[in-house]
Amino acid sequence: MADVVCCLFARGGFDRAAQGILGAGRRLADSLGGKLHAVAIGPADDAVAQGAAAVADNVLVVDHALLAEYHPEIYLDALASACKPLAAKAVLLSNDAYGQELAARLAHRLGGSAAGDAVDISAAGDQLRVTRGVYGGKATAVIALNRSPGVVWVRARALEPAAATGKPAGKIQKLSLDLKDSARVKVVSRHVEAKEGARLEEARLIVSGGRGLGGPEPFKELQALASAMGAQMAASRAACDAGWVPPSWQVGQTGKKVAPELYMAIAISGASQHIMGIADSKVICAINRDPDAPIFKHCRFGLVEDYQKVVGPLREKLGHSK
Amino acid sequence: MNIIVCIKQILDPEIPARDFRVDSAKREAERGGANLVTNIFCENALETAIQFRDAHGGKITALAVGPDGAEDVLRKALALKADDAVLVVNEADSNPDPLFVAQALAASIRKIGPFDVVLVGREAGDWGAGQTGGLLAEELGVPCISFAESLEPGAAGTLQVKRQTDTGWELLEATAPLVATITNHEKNVPRIPKTRDVMQSYRKPLTKWTLAELSLDPAKAHAYSEVAELFIPRKETQCEFMAGDTLEEKIDAFARRVTEVMRAM
Amino acid sequence: MNDPQLATREVLWNISHVWIMYALLLPTLGVAAYGFYRRIKLWRRGLSENRFDCPLERIAMVLKHAVLQLRNWRKLYPGTMHAMIFWGFIVLTIATTVVMIDYDFGIPIMRGQFYLYFQSLFVDIFGALAIVGIAMAGFRRWIVRPKQLVYTTEASVILLAIFVILVSGFLVEGWRIAATADPWGAWSPFGNLVARASETQMSVESMKTAHWFGWWTHLLLVFAFIAWAPYTKLAHVLTSTLNIYTARLAPIGATLRKIDFEKSEKLGINSLAGYTWKDLLDFDACTECGRCTAVCPANRVGKILSPRDIILDLQKLMHDPLADPTQSYIGVTPALSVEAMWECTTCGACVEACPVSIEQMPKIVDTRRFLVMEDAEFPETMQQALTSLETRGHPLRGTAFSRVDWAQGLKIATMAEAKSADVLLWIGCGGALVERNQKVVRSLAQLLEKASVNFAILGREEKCTGDPARRIGNEFLFETLAQENIATLDRYKVKTVVTSCPHCFNTFRNEYPQFGGQYEVFHHSEYLAKLVAEGKLSADLPNDKKITFHDPCYLGRHNNVYDAPRELVQISSSQAPIEMEQSRGNGFCCGGGGGMSFIDEPPNQRVNQERARQVLETDAEIVAVGCPFCMTMMEDGINARKGDRDVKVMDIAELLWQAVEQAPTTQS
Repeated sequence: MADVVCCLFARGGFDRAAQGILGAGRRLADSLGGKLHAVAIGPADDAVAQGAAAVADNVLVVDHALLAEYHPEIYLDALASACKPLAAKAVLLSNDAYGQELAARLAHRLGGSAAGDAVDISAAGDQLRVTRGVYGGKATAVIALNRSPGVVWVRARALEPAAATGKPAGKIQKLSLDLKDSARVKVVSRHVEAKEGARLEEARLIVSGGRGLGGPEPFKELQALASAMGAQMAASRAACDAGWVPPSWQVGQTGKKVAPELYMAIAISGASQHIMGIADSKVICAINRDPDAPIFKHCRFGLVEDYQKVVGPLREKLGHSK
Repeated sequence: MNIIVCIKQILDPEIPARDFRVDSAKREAERGGANLVTNIFCENALETAIQFRDAHGGKITALAVGPDGAEDVLRKALALKADDAVLVVNEADSNPDPLFVAQALAASIRKIGPFDVVLVGREAGDWGAGQTGGLLAEELGVPCISFAESLEPGAAGTLQVKRQTDTGWELLEATAPLVATITNHEKNVPRIPKTRDVMQSYRKPLTKWTLAELSLDPAKAHAYSEVAELFIPRKETQCEFMAGDTLEEKIDAFARRVTEVMRAM
Repeated sequence: MNDPQLATREVLWNISHVWIMYALLLPTLGVAAYGFYRRIKLWRRGLSENRFDCPLERIAMVLKHAVLQLRNWRKLYPGTMHAMIFWGFIVLTIATTVVMIDYDFGIPIMRGQFYLYFQSLFVDIFGALAIVGIAMAGFRRWIVRPKQLVYTTEASVILLAIFVILVSGFLVEGWRIAATADPWGAWSPFGNLVARASETQMSVESMKTAHWFGWWTHLLLVFAFIAWAPYTKLAHVLTSTLNIYTARLAPIGATLRKIDFEKSEKLGINSLAGYTWKDLLDFDACTECGRCTAVCPANRVGKILSPRDIILDLQKLMHDPLADPTQSYIGVTPALSVEAMWECTTCGACVEACPVSIEQMPKIVDTRRFLVMEDAEFPETMQQALTSLETRGHPLRGTAFSRVDWAQGLKIATMAEAKSADVLLWIGCGGALVERNQKVVRSLAQLLEKASVNFAILGREEKCTGDPARRIGNEFLFETLAQENIATLDRYKVKTVVTSCPHCFNTFRNEYPQFGGQYEVFHHSEYLAKLVAEGKLSADLPNDKKITFHDPCYLGRHNNVYDAPRELVQISSSQAPIEMEQSRGNGFCCGGGGGMSFIDEPPNQRVNQERARQVLETDAEIVAVGCPFCMTMMEDGINARKGDRDVKVMDIAELLWQAVEQAPTTQS
């Protein structure tokens, strides 16, 4: 079988991630010559179902009281149950925390193999092949998945949604599952940071700060610059490790993967692990007082200067020119 | 509390890019002059374990799968006062797939004995698959909580695990046994060992098992996945450095370039 | 007529019950002796150390520094005032001894010309000079109030006491001269002044009475003073002398001690019990002059580090009967705080400045050793540097370079290729892995090539010498690296090492011998100067820039190499070199040593910026350096301070190479 399954978490609505993953799924299914199934887990959402039906050949809506909020064990059970009968060649998940944590376990349940952060997915005969960055982004590997299905998570928010083809809408079916509550894991509480604007992965302009800022206070200056530009704030791992900014700001190999039009790196040295998170940016620019900083090797343009002397005046200039 | 911490020895992830070479035929990185280090997330995991044990009691076993030289990372764990160390010696394959590693870990954990929690780094700095924790949980038949930053005792013998999400965090209460993958956080920055402990770590007992002893067949090291190709992508951008006689001029030039990009959006 | 040959005076004139004086002498000396005995007992609690070798050298040090007090003269005002007080006291003591020999032992030396010229004139002058000295000291302490002094009641009382003693001495002398109508009175000019002035106001009878009271007051004051002195900082009279005798004979760069890891109960020092008797003597030798803190670069830029207070606080602790010497002293005072310990650049200015040979800086390193190896608590950026040192063999985490990138394009053989060479050119981490410094190393290598020196490098086999580990306090890591490097060098049978970094230079020359590594070691400035002197290099194209040389602490103060780099500066420019006010032995640190280049200093407390300011005060166009740390720190500092003026920072190797580069090949 050459079918592809896209896993959607309905709780997020028909967002950019859903659109991106469906687009990738459609293109992959077409190249494999198979059908595209969409499995929507979570509270029933018409927008999600309709949006998925416009792209996929088949939409399975799995709604259940226990799926109202995300729970790793229950969602895993639901996905495994929904995907198994589909006997697909590839199962796609988004690269949010939930997709990342479920992919390998889902593969295990389905008797397949997983791979993550795929830049490209192709088939070589029976095998699914996934291209991804390794060694902190210094090298590229093509991983051959030796079991089926291949469960792959992708940078959904950076992927192109499916082109409108005017094909007939796919069939929407409700799937009833007999799900059991998890006896061993309970979600006690959840905290969502109050964050203005778009999610980092969807942001088109990003201002990011690193270790060179030296503390939490300078990030306020950068925030002012970002506001003047209409940009989102992000940070390197060093700044997050030091507790200067929340971990959700972290961009890099183990943080968010972003794909903005402009990524402005301020006092960030540019280790390859950070570059891994920003490699999809259209334009990278940097302000750093060290002319040797590796970040400059990835920049379109840069300024070798102490950020303290630059950020204030830069904000003035950019505030006026809007 | 029996805590098992899985530790991986990897090639130094901070090799300067120009020194980094791959052997495309063997499909692995060249060792070159680089050192072998403990994966940072494994260090975070060990730090989490130590903080938990020092505050609430328990026993820490450090566990690694790798060649004989991986003993070094276990000695470092012993220097940080892990109670026991176990090495599953695998000289056959330098990069077994994540499922094989998970199976080797699961087999050793079953041999070590009952456990409450297994801590695993969220991913390794070399291949970065990020799957070992999840697959290990499946092999052991226990729940898995990923991207955890801290561990505390919860009500009635449970564990409270705080884990990171894209938009913030979640607090989960879990009943042992379970697997947790650990991510970096300001509270789990790895500590420096005391010199005396480093000196004594070499005299502490360290158990070594072979794959055969654990009934593992190295021929299955790629039943799940394998590296088909490995190469270094060519990508060099020429950075234009802002020039000017005064600082003001340089900032002006920078601002102009930024505005150009924003206008083109 | 009065015969000068018979000139003398009546000793103890007008004084009866003299036995009281002798009776009081015993308890006075007893109390004084006990004061010293107490101190000696405290020192003997310390661990052992051999400081009694090379007696001739040590006696020479005592003559230079305890008698002539050459170091005191570095500051003219305090040097003069102290010399006056010191020599005044010496002379007065000799005078009293003369009286004793004549009166108590009956040897008639206090007679004739000797009595007139020495006992009267000379002694009076020196007594007066002593008063002037005290007045100068009082002016400094109470009016000028420089920050470096310690302001205690004790210090003021001491000055006043000495003043009263001296003045009372003259009064007593004057009244005697007047009341006895001493024919030789004029030979004691100042006593004579008192006599002539008193005569007009007082009768002979009243002068006799005043004399009697004055004499006994003077005596009691002197005895009280003698009994009290050993309990005050005046004990330095003996403690400082002993400290100078037992001072280090090795250069500052050789003073850190090795640790026996197998036998040591504690790694590093955090309590008095960890110190040797010599360290404890150091605490007691302190005269509270404050010069160490005055020259400390960290203190100068407003940090809390104060070598003076470290010594004095430990002195107090040592003498505190309620303090437990095995308890940690870390943090018990601000000077002994953890924060202060991490502000030291190990520049050694404190050690160099101390007039009585106290070794402050090694005690800071000893304390760091405890913090790092026993507590494992120290600044995070230093932790990262040491972790990098351990895993990568260099402390420069994040460098984009490997150890051989700097040599691209130059055909330089490695030891592995060449198998052997006359000279091992040791590059160092700074030289190889920091882009700006690579140019320095290239210049150096090209100069050696031009001079046809048979040299090779270790390339990737080179590991950090371990200097940052030793200065930060991880002696274990240092020893590990030292042994590895020595094994590598010995494998290639290296005899001569030329380094491009003074820290590497110091470690090779002074510290590796502790671990069995014996080589002939040159800093590149020394070696290049040697080549120039031998005619193998000729600076035919000097530039026309004004150059000032910034002494690297580890080359200058730590190893007394000041001239070689200056020779190179001299020939590299047609302009006369500029000497900064703080240069040579009292050069000001760039702020990069002691692991401090791995610390983010607060923006208004940067040692390098202060040094940059000093450079910019001259009209130098180039500041020449001889060290990769200085290079980075001075460039940063000057960038921060330069305003409109541009001063370039260049290594002496670069300057020489520029001056040599297009010269015709010299005959070797």
